Amino acid sequence: MKRIIIIALFLGSVLPALAQEKPRLYTIASPFERYTYYLATARYTAAIPMGSFKDNYIDKASFQNASISIEWVLRNSPLSIGGEIGSTYFEKRVPRALYEGPDGTISAVQTRTVSQYPVELFANYHFLPRNSQVQPYVQVSAGASILDYTVYYGSLASQDQKVRFKYGVGVGSKFLFKKDGSVGLDVRVKYDATAYKYDYIDKGISSVNGSIGLFYRWW
Amino acid sequence: MFKKASFLLLIVGLGLVSCSKDPISDLSNEESLVYITNHDQSANYKQYKTFSIVDSVLIVENNRAGASLDDIDRAMLQGLIKNMEAMGYKYVGRKENPDVGINVSWITNTYLNVVSQPLSSYYGGYWGGYGYGYPSYYSYYETSESSWLISMLDFKNPQTTPSGKTFNVIWDAQIRGSAIGDQKLIDKMADSIFGQSGYLKIK
Repeated sequence: MKRIIIIALFLGSVLPALAQEKPRLYTIASPFERYTYYLATARYTAAIPMGSFKDNYIDKASFQNASISIEWVLRNSPLSIGGEIGSTYFEKRVPRALYEGPDGTISAVQTRTVSQYPVELFANYHFLPRNSQVQPYVQVSAGASILDYTVYYGSLASQDQKVRFKYGVGVGSKFLFKKDGSVGLDVRVKYDATAYKYDYIDKGISSVNGSIGLFYRWW
Repeated sequence: MFKKASFLLLIVGLGLVSCSKDPISDLSNEESLVYITNHDQSANYKQYKTFSIVDSVLIVENNRAGASLDDIDRAMLQGLIKNMEAMGYKYVGRKENPDVGINVSWITNTYLNVVSQPLSSYYGGYWGGYGYGYPSYYSYYETSESSWLISMLDFKNPQTTPSGKTFNVIWDAQIRGSAIGDQKLIDKMADSIFGQSGYLKIK
């Protein structure tokens, strides 16, 4: 009996304290609400060629793309700004065919490739409050693409390397795994275009890229 | 500090190199071959009836030349004769005034390349605690590319110049790629260069 009283007294003293602690936690807004915070994302991307790049050079989708980005989610603002670097690669094999050129007729199996290392700055506009668990956004980006255009005729290569302007517009959403957490999923669909003109490519390199990423945020 | 930074850069550099792709690693020997043919647009092939061919393959290697007639050369010569006959030309001896002559050469160009090896004992010294560094090591490597060059000379209409008679090349074919020495593909090579040159047909 005595023991039960002691336990009851103990609970009586502790539980109200807990009950008081709990709401107080929620009266202070999360640091993610109060401060500008950092957010890093690693993305894996599938890319579908578009426009004349698709018609004239490579029409095959690419699954060899990835990027990492870091962004500052600004305080008291629906905006975030950041930078992203990535690697994209398109390839297509064309069976043996004849190519007429100034040096005669060339018969070869063609392997068409273009790889890019884009370096970009971007800005996101978020539609929902900055700490909500789902955060849809629109994105614009611009930067430079370090690109390598190589067409192989059999085992012989014809190569062009350039740095060119690129831009992109996209829509996406972040999904936090748990409320107020620091890890989440990022899904984005983006149209990317690089200004480039050489050989088979007459109106730039454009593609629609769907990516899935993991992000971590801290403050 | 600088040493450390450059070592890190080196690691990053190695990482990038190892990421670079080799999109043609899956090409078969046959697929790696490239046939390049060219011809004199003004030539009228109907005027030629007979041809002859060199009795061995001319080997040209960095300005040194010699002749060779091993199995692969013989196979190439026979493949060319077979195709010329199929095009309608008559094979005659070299002394019997052929209208056109076929020249076959195997050309090899060798280049000497030099590369500076940044990972030298300098870094060994850094890690090992020695006080001074050595200059970078240089290493040399050779690359060479060979190709078949087959040309058709116009013996019927020689050009006379002060230095003597010269003959125009009215058709030529280059076979390039990593598998040009593959004997199993020699017939295929001979067939291909004629196959893409339908204008040579006279019958």
